[in-house]
Amino acid sequence: MKCRECLEHLYDYLDKELTPDTEREIRAHLAGCQPCGEQFDFEALFLKFVRARTRAQGAPPELKQRILRELFNE
Amino acid sequence: MATATPTPPPAPVDDKRASFEREALVHLDALYRVALRLTGNAADADDLVQETVLKAFRAWDQYERGTNAKGWLLTILRNSFINEYRRRARHPENVDLDTIEPFAVFGGIQEEDPQGAFFDKIVDDEVLRAIDALPEVFRETVVLSDVEGMSYQEIARILDVPVGTVKSRLFRARQMLQGKLYDYAVNMGYIKGSRE
Repeated sequence: MKCRECLEHLYDYLDKELTPDTEREIRAHLAGCQPCGEQFDFEALFLKFVRARTRAQGAPPELKQRILRELFNE
Repeated sequence: MATATPTPPPAPVDDKRASFEREALVHLDALYRVALRLTGNAADADDLVQETVLKAFRAWDQYERGTNAKGWLLTILRNSFINEYRRRARHPENVDLDTIEPFAVFGGIQEEDPQGAFFDKIVDDEVLRAIDALPEVFRETVVLSDVEGMSYQEIARILDVPVGTVKSRLFRARQMLQGKLYDYAVNMGYIKGSRE
């Protein structure tokens, strides 16, 4: 696999959306290609970062109460 | 002396309630996060979530138990948003999506910070602000994928677009988001940067 093809699959790979065969090919390429490896690592870090920074927020307790009241008359 | 009485078998209405609580209400936080990013304000997000949940409860018999409640709920939420809230959402926008040029951030910081250490300095609010600044089609895609962890197939179903569209939107959304955070990091002096 060439770098170009590998990079085309960057997000499919990080999102675990590839077939096992293609995934294996990518992993093999990454093991021997430092520039691609660095870019994949960077993008993986970015996705992890976005997730970590955006999941603290949840539904406010008052909203939960309001919904339960509406649903079940509580 | 009080004796333990056996619990009577639950009535059907309680079955509905129990399964709804178990499969649907556990996703309230996810619904709220998505609603907040779509509407752009807490009051509308509250109303949108409440409306979504009430609609879902009414339609609960149509939902096939044990399939994908989160995807099903998010589809209801998004449809409600489009029909009732979009007009007053705080992101009036008319962007020509084809003119948006994504900037490859990795190329810009490859030398200076290839491990992306500058990310550590960027706080939650700043990331949410950057997501909110994305055009709606990119914002909803990135929220479903990167915040809520939905698969391409699930996102395609929720947004009612082909999987290929999800992929291309996600690619551009992530590049734009990186670009915004990169600009922020440069402005704050976290990195020097080399963007032209």
